[in-house]
Amino acid sequence: MQSIVAKDLTKQFGDFTAVNHINFSVEKGEIFGFLGANGAGKTTAIKMMSGLLLPTSGDAIVGGYSIRTDSKQIKRHIGYMSQRFSLYNDLTIFENMQLFGTVYGIPAKELKDRIHQSLSKLKMDDQANSLVASIPLGWKQKLAFATAILHRPEIVFLDEPTSGVDPIVRREFWKLIYQAAASGITIFVTTHYMDEAEYCHRISIMAEGSLKLIGTPSELKQQMGVDTIDDVFVKFVKR
Amino acid sequence: MRVILMLIKKEFLQVFRSPLLLSILIVAPMVQFILFPFTADYEIKVLDIAFIDNDNSTLSHNLINEFSASKHFRSKGIIDSKSYADKLMKADKIDFLVEIPLDFEKHLICQDGTTIAITANAINTVKAGIGCGYVQTVIGDYLKEISENTGLTTLSNTAQLFTTNIYWYNEQMNYRNLIVPGILVILVTLIGAYVTALNLVREKEIGTIEQINVTPIKKWQFLLGKMIPFWILGMAEFILGLILMKIIFGINVQGSIPALLCITAIYLLVMLGLGFFISAVSENQLQAMFIVFFLFIVFVLLSGLFTPTEGMPEWAEKINYLNPMSFYMEVIKKMVLKGCQWADLKYQTIVLSVMAVILNSAAMLSYKDSSK
Repeated sequence: MQSIVAKDLTKQFGDFTAVNHINFSVEKGEIFGFLGANGAGKTTAIKMMSGLLLPTSGDAIVGGYSIRTDSKQIKRHIGYMSQRFSLYNDLTIFENMQLFGTVYGIPAKELKDRIHQSLSKLKMDDQANSLVASIPLGWKQKLAFATAILHRPEIVFLDEPTSGVDPIVRREFWKLIYQAAASGITIFVTTHYMDEAEYCHRISIMAEGSLKLIGTPSELKQQMGVDTIDDVFVKFVKR
Repeated sequence: MRVILMLIKKEFLQVFRSPLLLSILIVAPMVQFILFPFTADYEIKVLDIAFIDNDNSTLSHNLINEFSASKHFRSKGIIDSKSYADKLMKADKIDFLVEIPLDFEKHLICQDGTTIAITANAINTVKAGIGCGYVQTVIGDYLKEISENTGLTTLSNTAQLFTTNIYWYNEQMNYRNLIVPGILVILVTLIGAYVTALNLVREKEIGTIEQINVTPIKKWQFLLGKMIPFWILGMAEFILGLILMKIIFGINVQGSIPALLCITAIYLLVMLGLGFFISAVSENQLQAMFIVFFLFIVFVLLSGLFTPTEGMPEWAEKINYLNPMSFYMEVIKKMVLKGCQWADLKYQTIVLSVMAVILNSAAMLSYKDSSK
């Protein structure tokens, strides 16, 4: 079953084409890595697929709904974690999760249970009542991820979730991603860390608004005749 | 419903965790009430006055003594030359110069008329105008006194037409009675427009609004979740203002308090709508602040707080039809000082309601939860 199908998805801002006729599909439960240099159009593509931005032409079917006509429905079925940390710093961890959980219509009692479950998974039970402003960045990112999947979405979009985070927390973060994928959530993730790209089931590389390469990490390495995804990326960008 | 309640809870939690905002909400009205009415006062306490006495007679001396005895004037003495008087006035040493002509006494006794020259330093026109009134009063009282003492009846007839003034609704002509209710208006306006505009733009700036926008929250839910808390805060602020007004200045609301609260509630909706509209079209807090500040100054100047609206040119009066503050200012003055009731303020209530609907619709339409 396919979670995302993009068909000629295009976005223009005036004369500038940020995303140029991209086509791809993502399977349910897949971890799909979305790579590309800064300004390649990754964030624009994610914003379109999560219903924040309307495409200029083309369409994408996300969780069975068209982003052109059903963006309201899509919002119920996805989670989103933006490039910027965007939980409320002046609310506690519990209050943040309660706010977003309520917004997705999770019944109060169940919401409480789910928050405690996910906090204990993060080993943050004892911090439920501390202000988000007071916890370190790495923890904030894990928290934002936990909040984004609290309502058990079909797909979660992660826009550079690990930028600025130390290697240990990054590894922990990817453990969480694997757990989520194992429970059936499709993961659509952008990153600049090529070691992370190796963890993905499939990756794609974007440049100048177009999708240039797509395949499993080993396929791409073979195709380019190199040993690491890092080399794939460098070779590709230099070309 | 659960979503809106949650949003309201979130907003209150944030307000009460922000010590700065909270102290602004509580301290601002107190400072304004304590400071403002005493600074914005048209009653002039002491005017510096000098005299040129060309007559040097008993009657001219007596006149000068009258000024010295008045609590409004501080005599800087009798000076000899006009040029020295000019110098004093240029140096801001005196506000008024009274020049008594030669043969002042003789003309008074003969009752054939004479002229006293009053020169005022009109850098501050208000001060000059009011001061001239004081000078004339002193001279008038003096002439009346002479006529009573000497029996020169025609003197008082020709020189003075005595008037008695009764000021309705503000018997002591106390400027504070006007300015204090005006401060209430300013308070409500600031909470309504300023605090809400900044609050919403701040969410844009730090990016939390993006997180809200990817959720199924509907536009109207989000705006209501913002509106209700600030509406409650605004009403609380207004009631705090009414209490301070009573405690500090002893001003009681003469009209119907329920009606006053109702109209204030509507006015707050106007200002909330304006604040949201501004935040929807601004990119950051700085822009929002400039827009609100600009509108605020225009609103206040046109509102009739400092100068009567009747004295404005016709075009300014027409602009005032778009100024919600001028309608509300009228309501406040009439309610607090004059004791008007609902029925007297129907027109203002309707206008404010229409404005509330228009501005909030504009805010709804311009707030984007997804962009094109």
